Amino acid sequence: MGKYIGKRLFQIVILLVIYIAVVFFILHAMPGGMKALFISNPRLTPEAQQAILKAFGLDKPPLTQFLIYMRNSFTLNFGVSFSHYPTPVWEIIKERLPRTALLFITATIISFLIGFHSGKVLAWKRGKAVEYVSTIGGVVAYTIFTPVLAFLLIWFFGAYLRLFPLNQFLNPDLWANTSFSSQVIFLRLLLTASIIGAVILVALILSYRLSHNIRSRRLIFYIPTISSVVIAVFIWWKSPYGIYGADILWHMVLPVVEVTIISYAGIMLVMRDSMLETVKEDFITTARAKGLPDRVVRDKHAARTALLPVITNFIISLGFTLSGGIITETLFSWPGMGLAMYEAVISHDYPLAAGCLIFTGIFVLFAHLVVDIVYAFLDPRIRY
Amino acid sequence: MSALLSIEGLKMYYDTQKGSVKAVDGVSFQLKKGESLGLVGESGCGKTSVAMSIMRLLAENARIISGHIYFDGKDLLTLSEKEMNKVRWKGISMIFQAAMNSLNPVYRVGDQIIEAIITHEPEVTFEQARERVKALYELVGLDPGRMDHYPHEYSGGMKQRAIIAMSLACNPQLIIADEPTTALDVIVQDMILREMARIQKKLNMSMIYISHDIAVIAEVAEKIAIMYAGKIVEFSDSKTIFKQPRHPYTIGLMSSFPSIRGSKKPLVTIPGEPPNLLNPPKGCRFAPRCPFATNVCLEKEPPYKEIDKEHFIACWHPQGVKRGAEDKDA
Amino acid sequence: MSELQTVVKEPLWKIRIKLAWRGFLKNWNIFRQSKIGMLGLWIVIVFAILGFVVYPILAATVWRSSLAATVSYDPITGYDFQKINPSHPSLQHPLGTDPIGRDILSQLLYSTPREFMLGIFAALITVFIGTTVGTVAAYYGGILDTFFMRLADLILLFPMIAFLIVLSGMMKINMIMLALIIGILSGFGGITIVLRSQALTVKVKPFIESAKVSGARSFYIVFHHIVPNVMPLSFLYMMFSVTGAIFSEAVLSFLGLLNVKMSWGLMIHTSESGGYLLGAYIGRYWWLWVPAGLAITLLCGAFYFIGRGLDEVVNPRLRRR
Repeated sequence: MGKYIGKRLFQIVILLVIYIAVVFFILHAMPGGMKALFISNPRLTPEAQQAILKAFGLDKPPLTQFLIYMRNSFTLNFGVSFSHYPTPVWEIIKERLPRTALLFITATIISFLIGFHSGKVLAWKRGKAVEYVSTIGGVVAYTIFTPVLAFLLIWFFGAYLRLFPLNQFLNPDLWANTSFSSQVIFLRLLLTASIIGAVILVALILSYRLSHNIRSRRLIFYIPTISSVVIAVFIWWKSPYGIYGADILWHMVLPVVEVTIISYAGIMLVMRDSMLETVKEDFITTARAKGLPDRVVRDKHAARTALLPVITNFIISLGFTLSGGIITETLFSWPGMGLAMYEAVISHDYPLAAGCLIFTGIFVLFAHLVVDIVYAFLDPRIRY
Repeated sequence: MSALLSIEGLKMYYDTQKGSVKAVDGVSFQLKKGESLGLVGESGCGKTSVAMSIMRLLAENARIISGHIYFDGKDLLTLSEKEMNKVRWKGISMIFQAAMNSLNPVYRVGDQIIEAIITHEPEVTFEQARERVKALYELVGLDPGRMDHYPHEYSGGMKQRAIIAMSLACNPQLIIADEPTTALDVIVQDMILREMARIQKKLNMSMIYISHDIAVIAEVAEKIAIMYAGKIVEFSDSKTIFKQPRHPYTIGLMSSFPSIRGSKKPLVTIPGEPPNLLNPPKGCRFAPRCPFATNVCLEKEPPYKEIDKEHFIACWHPQGVKRGAEDKDA
Repeated sequence: MSELQTVVKEPLWKIRIKLAWRGFLKNWNIFRQSKIGMLGLWIVIVFAILGFVVYPILAATVWRSSLAATVSYDPITGYDFQKINPSHPSLQHPLGTDPIGRDILSQLLYSTPREFMLGIFAALITVFIGTTVGTVAAYYGGILDTFFMRLADLILLFPMIAFLIVLSGMMKINMIMLALIIGILSGFGGITIVLRSQALTVKVKPFIESAKVSGARSFYIVFHHIVPNVMPLSFLYMMFSVTGAIFSEAVLSFLGLLNVKMSWGLMIHTSESGGYLLGAYIGRYWWLWVPAGLAITLLCGAFYFIGRGLDEVVNPRLRRR
């Protein structure tokens, strides 16, 4: 297992190097690229132009430039943002990245859970009206234009039902007189979520290690899970920050719903197809012949095996989901990496835009690694 | 002694877009406790469909039209799914055609056997179940240390043995082995079959072997039923079938397999193809391919009747020849 | 050879066309069974008629602008002085007008052929590159194969939209450039992996062996024997590429980053940047985003549906019994 992860890690570092190279050559080495943009201002004197080129190392030969760029990328030195001068690009990314990560991870987990279960149930009830309707619903959710979905959500939940706030990261009135920044609260939220996530993971592993009985397994899993959630809620409730944390979470609901729907449909459709393939396998007949209850055959044998292609497919659609995430951020004014990138592009802040682009790539590659590891855990054939 | 399994007039059709495929069309036979039966026929003649009807593991488009399957006094076709689940594996277990794919690739082989034990005997603890699997592994000639391995770490023969161990896990009264050895090479095939026959004798279980290879079956089964196009055409003990086959199809089947011990003779194949079960011939289903067919054969279906003691046949013109005589003819 | 020619009187190309026609009919009959595929095909046909036939007719008759009129239906420079814009759908403007008085229906129809052309142009490039690279990689193998497969892995993970956003911020991208960029990038992506594995199964077929024995050059084998056999799969992926290209264009022009005069995405962008789609306004000014959004969704979906239908033609295991 360790060897496998090491191998994947190595491959991913190589992919990262190639990725940065591609970004560099397209953004910098192209005619009309970075270089031209820096000196395109007609009011600059030739001396000033040279000074700028020198300052950014753009007067050096392309290969040297590339090596410098590569070194800078790995030391997280992306230069200084134009629009947030003189904040370094890395500082901005450091602030924005967790927000994107939280949005993306929450939505992914939710959509995976729902997509997995609904795809499973749909395939099992083949030919019923429910299957037909849900499949059409899934296809619609899969093909709908992302901004249209966002408008529908904002209009229905935000304007019509008035359940959720309209596109913002937080409620400015509430935060007007606070002495702390929203980032502090946000990071605490993230920490809480990570701790709960870790507890759930440990409980899951323990429940499978310690017991072979379904009932006691459930007990081992649910007691720590529920208690950690309850404790976390209680601590936030008692702390003076509780209301602010709740405000951020409140603003997070609609963006999460949007990204969830985008990735849910794909997962559900693939799970359904994969399930339909799996139920034809001989080991499913064996499982039924063993006299296992229908649910056990479905969940333990069919769905568990059908899950593997879904995960492979999920890797392929990572880029797609992330694109959806970027669009969602701009639509809901969720101040993550996608919005930062968009704003940077609009305000011609090229260092920030390039930094965001590289970090988006790193983010995808990292997600890829995580999914790869999960896959290796789920498929015994990979491990050796 | 009354029969353990008794099938009466079983009819099972597959609904397709073109019409009903009459895969099993009026099959009846009985099996006593401790007895072994070989169900023989060409591929597509409905052998597997009979087995799947007994287990009630039918495809979505399959329909049991009529008939009864009595097992241990109960009609399996009238049981609810929940009651049927109690019969499966505990009463009747099965070894499937494609043993290679009969194990779930993502679970340990031992755990898959334990799952069957614990499902049917909830009072057994996990440790006890492991002990039983260990014993089963020894019985079928597998290293018990292998039970914590995954299916992909097993060879074909080992998987087959593991499947046999799994089929024995709940001490069933009847095991149905559907082409248990087709995917294996010849030497392993022979070994596994002998092993199965030995275990069957030792544990006094009933057994149904399903195969297209009559020579293989004759070595291990006490009774043989020959199936053709969804019907049983001949049924007797294996010695009689081998020495004195009466149905022309059986005779043809016999001559299309080489005999290791018998004299060298040219292999005879049966001309033509099995009929389309969507629209089978009106009379005897074998008539179009039968060298002895007359007008009666083409017009009327032959009755399935006992012509000798414990020797059933469905043919208008039973051939009285002994095997020796047949050899000379050929 | 000469004997054969005397026996078969028809010229070779005629036989080829007949064979191709027969193959097409067979596949068409399978495709027709797929409800979702037919739905997609119908949507595409309706859009094609609206864009290529209905719009020119309307523009030349009902919507013809005269200098003196207070209403112009021109999708880009149009106006309506009689109404407070954006105005509700009415008889004059079946889908209403946008914030500066341009007719929404006219914009919608005007953009249709452009979306088609963009999608199909990008998809053709994708399929051309994907088929060539996939078959060549499969046939020659070795380092060529490894290189293109790793490249495909990378592009598969490439955050395409993010990249396009940054790129379009740096240079003015128009429709043709966009089609080129999308086409080339996705041409080296996942499609090569799929077509390569298909080409590998074709490569080991006996007729390739016999072509080799009869002394055909490898170039000839690749383009006369392997490529025609992976063509159906290429065609299937072409449909998915069309969806991807139209979607990308819509997103970019929705963000206002493309150098185009009019497109479905831009229609929503104009209204959004004008502040007409903020919060509760979304419901009030529904005609500013519903028609264009629906059109994007439908056309993207239609090509995706056709792809699903073709999937059943190409992958027999998906077919119903």
